[in-house]
Amino acid sequence: MSCSPFDLKDYFLQELPSPARVQVEAHVNNCLTCREELERLHLTGAALFSLRDEEIPQRIAFVSDQIFEPSPVRRWLSAFWGSTARLGFASALALSASIFFFAATRPAPAPVRTVFAPVAAATPSPQEIQQQIQQAVVKAVAEVEARQAQQTKQLVADFEKRNDETLRSVRWMAGELDANRKRTQITRTAMYVQPGESGEIK
Amino acid sequence: MIFRAVEDADLIRQATRGNVESFNLLVSRWEKRVYNYLLRITANREDALDLTQDAFLKAYQNLRKLDDPGRFAPWLYRIAHNEAYSMFRRRKPETDVDEIAPEATETKITVGGSSVFPIELSLAVASALDRLSTDQREAVVLKIYQGFKFEEMAEILSCPVSTIKSRLYTALELLKIELAPMKARGVS
Repeated sequence: MSCSPFDLKDYFLQELPSPARVQVEAHVNNCLTCREELERLHLTGAALFSLRDEEIPQRIAFVSDQIFEPSPVRRWLSAFWGSTARLGFASALALSASIFFFAATRPAPAPVRTVFAPVAAATPSPQEIQQQIQQAVVKAVAEVEARQAQQTKQLVADFEKRNDETLRSVRWMAGELDANRKRTQITRTAMYVQPGESGEIK
Repeated sequence: MIFRAVEDADLIRQATRGNVESFNLLVSRWEKRVYNYLLRITANREDALDLTQDAFLKAYQNLRKLDDPGRFAPWLYRIAHNEAYSMFRRRKPETDVDEIAPEATETKITVGGSSVFPIELSLAVASALDRLSTDQREAVVLKIYQGFKFEEMAEILSCPVSTIKSRLYTALELLKIELAPMKARGVS
């Protein structure tokens, strides 16, 4: 079991990044077990490389056969359909050509005539200004008078209403007074009645 | 005039336009590597050659489907891997691909005693690789011999990086037990 910070096989197979390689090398310098393990791996690698590559017994080459080879038009078409960029460019070209054709052949719309009514310059004379001021003043005075008359009318109506209520309550109190007076007289009369006339009071 | 190396991406672009010579140039750049990859997972030269040709033919037919020319290598190895596994299934549909016997030339040897000659070491390596499962052997071939990164291997083999690492680490442990002592003796 290796005590190296990284796998010695990864180091041997050159799959470690440079900083990790440096760490492994530093560790191997101080650790006999890992040094021997790495040595065994290097010996294995050297043994494997003793098996040399062989030359290929027969060279491979392809010959262009005119019979089976597609025609230049077919080759161009297949290359065209196989390329997204070419297809996209051709589509964009067709679209812009159709837009251009449509724009060139379409009849131009009739121009819309907009008639502007002449606007007279409104510059009133001093008499007109004076007249307008007077009209505005008259109107304002009339509005104030109407508002005051309305308020006065409202106040009179309120006063009359309150007066009626007071009158009603006075009448009610007078009625009550009369009734009380009558009840008092009756009571007093009853107190001065003779005992023999009534069997209840003795 | 500016000179620069013709990159794979340039050749792929020209090949997709129907330029066969560009594709042939691409083939000449990759055929040896693909052949050796297939040779090590099939352990048979004829099969490896046939599969290499089939893989390049499929690559030519499907070159337009390759979105990113920078990913050509994993894409090509993916095709080669699929071709190899299709062959395994065709030949032995009912048995596991690990049970397919390697070519007679790849004899199993046992190495004892003192020093080891280079030829013996090569045979021992071939024998040790044969003893791995197909998945483990393929992981070793792609990583050690072809130099792919884990992510590229995951793309080629269509499996997670964790699975790739697991296969590779197990294979390395087995190879280390067999080969490290032998190499140490050969060196000394």
